Amino acid sequence: MNMLEEYLNKIKGTTKSPPMVSLSEIGLSWIGAFLGIAAVAYINYNRLAETDLVMIIGSFGASAVLIYGAIKSPLAQPRNLIGGHVFSAVIGVVCYQWLNPNMWLASSVAVATAIAFMHATKTLHPPGGATALIAVIGSEKIHDLGYLYAIVPVGLGALIMLVVAIIVNNIPKSRRYPEFWF
Amino acid sequence: MDIPFDLTISDEDIYAAMKNIPGYLDITTGDFKELYRLTYRHAVKRIAQSVKAADIMTEEVVTAKRGTPLKEVAKVMAEQGVSGVPVIEEDKKVAGVISEKDFLSRMDGKTGKTFMGVVAKCLKGKACVAIPIRAKKAEDIMTSPAITVKEDSTLRDIADLFKERKINRVPVVDVNGCLIGIVSREDIIESPLLRDMS
Repeated sequence: MNMLEEYLNKIKGTTKSPPMVSLSEIGLSWIGAFLGIAAVAYINYNRLAETDLVMIIGSFGASAVLIYGAIKSPLAQPRNLIGGHVFSAVIGVVCYQWLNPNMWLASSVAVATAIAFMHATKTLHPPGGATALIAVIGSEKIHDLGYLYAIVPVGLGALIMLVVAIIVNNIPKSRRYPEFWF
Repeated sequence: MDIPFDLTISDEDIYAAMKNIPGYLDITTGDFKELYRLTYRHAVKRIAQSVKAADIMTEEVVTAKRGTPLKEVAKVMAEQGVSGVPVIEEDKKVAGVISEKDFLSRMDGKTGKTFMGVVAKCLKGKACVAIPIRAKKAEDIMTSPAITVKEDSTLRDIADLFKERKINRVPVVDVNGCLIGIVSREDIIESPLLRDMS
């Protein structure tokens, strides 16, 4: 009975949500995300359209939240951004190539292993989970890239977004990025 | 070790502080409180280890020599308002320590080593209970060998020593064993660590 009570008490939560950020912070997050995604999206749609390559994947949208919207977070630091994406990409490709056509298993093993690996390498970056999943459930174009997926679009795209973050996040007086490199 | 009452922080304090910091903090007030509690514990430990005997000791020490008559020792202790003095050799090495306890235990062997025991005996008879030690010298009643600490002993170690050996002061000696100061319980209370907290 006590154990159940303790368990249910945990679900109640213990504290309230953090305060809202200032309007300027909202504006700065918008500008950063606009420029970062514009860079990779422009290359993808206007430079690589005729090729087999891609430069943008869905998980970059999630990375933008962190590296332009929550820049102090340990999850948003360069080590996590680059490491989380690249490691997860490799894990995703391995899972697809070894476990397809068993797609449910390839998907779940890819994401779970990506999280475990990011933890173990201190590179936890939530969008990495999406990067691993996209390697499995993505289009034929993604599957055809094979291990190149980890370099282009994942590694190079993350690097471009990082460069934009370093340039843009250090312009306002109220912002500083990164908190740490490694 | 829990955070002292006047250093505890509320969720409202943390919330207000988070508002002061521009940008999104990826942390809840609960996270911060837990971090604060643990950080406080580590800081106290670190500071207790960084404060050394030399930082808190009293350098001007009231001392006695081996041959100092007890009536003089008692007079000096009374005048200077100290409850114990180191007894030093000619070369300033510490031979022993005399505290009020050493006086009391020699003054009244039967009723115990307490101040009230002496008072009780005084009230009962006419003779002064200090008579038996009137002709004695410092070296006759001092506790020897003396417990001493080095100048780089930590506050933590000294506090533990006081507790374990049930003593109230400890002479501080240099590498040659010569007296350079004394740390009393008062010195610990007045130490920078505690002063900054109040």
